[in-house]
Amino acid sequence: MELSAIMKDKLNAGDNVVALHEGVLLQGWSPKAHRLLALVERNLSFGLFVFTTSRNPPQAFTDLTINFVVPIDSDFKCDIDSLSAESNSDIYINLSARNFKLFMGMDSGHETNHFFNELSRSMDLYLKNQQTLDFQWLKKYNINDIDLELGLMMNINGDNTSNNIITANMAVAENDISFPTGTQTLSSRESVIQRQMILSEEQYTNAQNFRIYIGTWNVNGQPTLSSLNDWLTCDSEPPDIYAIGFQELDLSKEAFLFNDSPREEEWLQAVTKSLNSKGNYKKVSLVRLVGMMLIVFVKNKHMDHVKNVATDTVGTGIMGKLGNKGGVAVRMDFHNTSLCFVNTHLAAHVEEYERRNQDYQNICSRMVFSNFIPPKTVKDHNQVYWFGDLNYRITEMDAISVKDLVRKNNFKNVLEADQLKQQHRAGNVFKGYKEGSINFLPTYKYDPGTNDWDSSEKNRAPAWCDRILWRGNSIKQLAYRSHPNLLISDHKPVSALFESEVRVVDLTKYRKIHEHIMKKLDKAENEYLPQVMVDNTEIIFHNVKFMEPQLKELTVANTGQVPVQFEFIKKLDDSTYCKEWLRIEPFMSFIDPGEKCDITLEVLIDKKSAYKMISGQDKLYDILVLHLDGGKDIFITVTGNYERSCFGCSLETLCYLKVPIKNIPFGKLMELENNKSNMTSDPYPVPKEVWYLVDHLYRHGLKQEHLFEHSGLRSEFVQIRNWLDNGTPDALPGSVHSVAEALLILLDSTSEPIIPYNLHATCLSAVSYYSQCKQIISQLPERSKNVFLYLCAFLQELLNHVNDNKLDVKTIASVFGEIFIRDPPRSRSDKSGHTRTSMSRKKTNFVYHFLVNDQSDLIINTSF
Amino acid sequence: MAKEYDHLFKLLIIGDSGVGKSSLLVRFADNTFSGSYITTIGVDFKIRTVIVDGEKVKLQIWDTAGQERFRTITSTYYRGTHGVIVVYDVSNGDSFANVKRWLHEIDQNCEVVNRILVGNKNDAPDRKVVLTEDAQRFADQMGIQLYETSAKDNINVEQMFMSITKQVLRNKKETKERQAHQNNDVVNLRKGHSKGAKRKCC
Repeated sequence: MELSAIMKDKLNAGDNVVALHEGVLLQGWSPKAHRLLALVERNLSFGLFVFTTSRNPPQAFTDLTINFVVPIDSDFKCDIDSLSAESNSDIYINLSARNFKLFMGMDSGHETNHFFNELSRSMDLYLKNQQTLDFQWLKKYNINDIDLELGLMMNINGDNTSNNIITANMAVAENDISFPTGTQTLSSRESVIQRQMILSEEQYTNAQNFRIYIGTWNVNGQPTLSSLNDWLTCDSEPPDIYAIGFQELDLSKEAFLFNDSPREEEWLQAVTKSLNSKGNYKKVSLVRLVGMMLIVFVKNKHMDHVKNVATDTVGTGIMGKLGNKGGVAVRMDFHNTSLCFVNTHLAAHVEEYERRNQDYQNICSRMVFSNFIPPKTVKDHNQVYWFGDLNYRITEMDAISVKDLVRKNNFKNVLEADQLKQQHRAGNVFKGYKEGSINFLPTYKYDPGTNDWDSSEKNRAPAWCDRILWRGNSIKQLAYRSHPNLLISDHKPVSALFESEVRVVDLTKYRKIHEHIMKKLDKAENEYLPQVMVDNTEIIFHNVKFMEPQLKELTVANTGQVPVQFEFIKKLDDSTYCKEWLRIEPFMSFIDPGEKCDITLEVLIDKKSAYKMISGQDKLYDILVLHLDGGKDIFITVTGNYERSCFGCSLETLCYLKVPIKNIPFGKLMELENNKSNMTSDPYPVPKEVWYLVDHLYRHGLKQEHLFEHSGLRSEFVQIRNWLDNGTPDALPGSVHSVAEALLILLDSTSEPIIPYNLHATCLSAVSYYSQCKQIISQLPERSKNVFLYLCAFLQELLNHVNDNKLDVKTIASVFGEIFIRDPPRSRSDKSGHTRTSMSRKKTNFVYHFLVNDQSDLIINTSF
Repeated sequence: MAKEYDHLFKLLIIGDSGVGKSSLLVRFADNTFSGSYITTIGVDFKIRTVIVDGEKVKLQIWDTAGQERFRTITSTYYRGTHGVIVVYDVSNGDSFANVKRWLHEIDQNCEVVNRILVGNKNDAPDRKVVLTEDAQRFADQMGIQLYETSAKDNINVEQMFMSITKQVLRNKKETKERQAHQNNDVVNLRKGHSKGAKRKCC
């Protein structure tokens, strides 16, 4: 089935796939997390869908999971970047929407071009038709699945109640930070959990209404009153939260210069005393900058649910910095909802509304709660209550008209001329904020101590300088009023009462969902562990023969979701990852998901391992540990049987074998090798195998040029080996060169060389003196001595025919020197080249003595 | 920002071949069960994060091959283990008899480690041959906790893993406390010493 058809099955009826394309996420746990992008249309409105596929390519719609859905609207942006290319993908796509960011790589090519042509066409269409478009259809898609990769890409700022989440169905991610371009570190698994918790907030919280009282008063530097009850206890029911702001609390120089004021404590006392006596309150925070002070109280019983309290102050006064004007703010998390209270005193003077707008902007940008990562600003809160002496006045209407109209309670017409209403409507200030309708007299300016309008010469028009605005969902204003009975200031206090919906956590549900998300992440983490299938974990090599390699294949398939690096590793105290007779190729490699790797195992029993097999020191058995980097280990057992051969047997053993080795039981052989057997029959003076080979060379090879210098054929060696081991009555097969090589291999495969390892050093130091050399030979074990002298006699005979065979005594001495005086195992590699050359020369010299001198005296003493 | 976890513990599951070690792990990590039997040839692990007393504990749980021939190799995986889960099959007497050997294996390869004994496949009473009383007596004798579980029917699996996790966590905290105590002693000694020196000066 074609992909677009499969996708159509996944979508709701009537939604059409316009274009689709695959890309690679450039962040995440796995280096190559593929995502499918689809542009989907319904009634000329478009949405971008992000899919994960469980099979690639998908075979059915069940293989597809929708991770994200974003509308193609004014917030949707698409940048294509082809400069920062560093991986396989040729172009980089940076898609962003209001709550969504995606950074992907794609191959440059026709399909990609097509996809982005369609995408930009859909963006153009949006601009043309935006008034009539309806994106409701996108909300019918349920996005429940956690996209680990995307989750990790998003830089979650810990804001657990993001305002920007528009609908519950739309999986969204807030990200105010400029998007990483490939190298930024990922946010942790913990932030994925947090993000998921935010997305499922509705499932573990209940909406609960709380009453919030906001009060503001410019007290004009006056000392406090004995009772503020008229203002703070005007409602019969005690509110849950009080946020009370003052301006011009202290107009003294000390307050201005040192931010130090005795008034702070006075007013705090007065306020505390005047809070609704039906409720018990606790002060959450107090913040003051010169004359601006904000105090927040919460009912005692709610204190446990107040968290992350922080304050900040911003001065916008003289030189735009000082604290005679500006704002103070307190933020807190109340249950699961973030609240921010901002008390401000904006620029004065009738005509200065633009400065007031500017002050508002400055406070918005400079008010920062920096103990959060990333720092929070006012707008990063679910609910904001902004109040204070905002200082907006009435222009376009003279003082007399204003006074006249307000006296008749005709506020509506006056408010038409209110600067704040005008600026707010024009979108110049308090964007996104609401204000309740004003049904109270202007709060400024009165003659202190009276309810009379300012009688000074300026004769200013009364104005609603003192205001309360709010931002956030589910906030209902219950009251908005002034309190004219408080007379001390030229301003009247103002208050508002709100019924605000707060998300209250249901702990049981919270734990359950938290656990559920953790489980899902754990599951994803487990799925992202490297996984392979091995086609065989028990590899059996049948009838392995000396010097005949056998191959077996092992297939490792990457069945997981991530690239796998595998390696055969050492186990226990072993120094290598496999036995010396085994070769693994490759022993480490990478496999991409869905790919396979064939591994070849080669068994070869050669002269280094044969004697161990015969003596039982080793056997064809090994357990290999196939280790996946960052994952599991798989044990692979290698077994087999080795066919015994005379190669690898000691000369001593061979001398006792009067029948072909095939006819000797393995156990018997092992006993012989370990000197545990008492053979009654007399041994041969030299092994019959040596005799067969030498005799053959004597009869057919004396005149052969380059004997012992040319190597034989592998196939002929196998025939010769079988002939020796099986004892066939036919003639010895193979060319003389092959027979000569077989002789050398036979002598080289024994566990001990003819000059035993313990005499190796003595032997090399004796080379200058023939007598000493002879001495050593006479001390050899009988069978070794026999073979040595027998071979020397044969070689002397061979050298009698130099005219025919062109052999040279030095060369022959060198070849047999290496065989007779074999270096002890593991000694060769530690020697430098120079030492090795000098050792070789010594060995040659040693043998040379026995090739040019008569050995009858030695031979007399031996029992041929 | 909060940490990914407060504690990271390595747990190891051992026991005879076929007692259900892998099934216990899969049940705990993925909450699934497969009736078909696949021998574990090697060692595999899965992770799971749990909350114990408000603390996030990330568990890395290793499942080992139970077959005899792998015993020497698997013993190398005991290194760095915080807790070992020894599993037998309640319907297989031999697997219970072998528990002693497995416990011995732990002693050989780990220093101080928390252990728990688990009788799995406790879902078919008619096939049960290892009686709870006998197993309990043995567990008491060895000073370890016993859980009878069924990975198939999801009985006691969660509880068993939580129990060993709590045990490991408790042990870690006790060790820490003990160390803190010792450190305090050291500090006190030093204080006393410096005081003495001062007095000499005066």
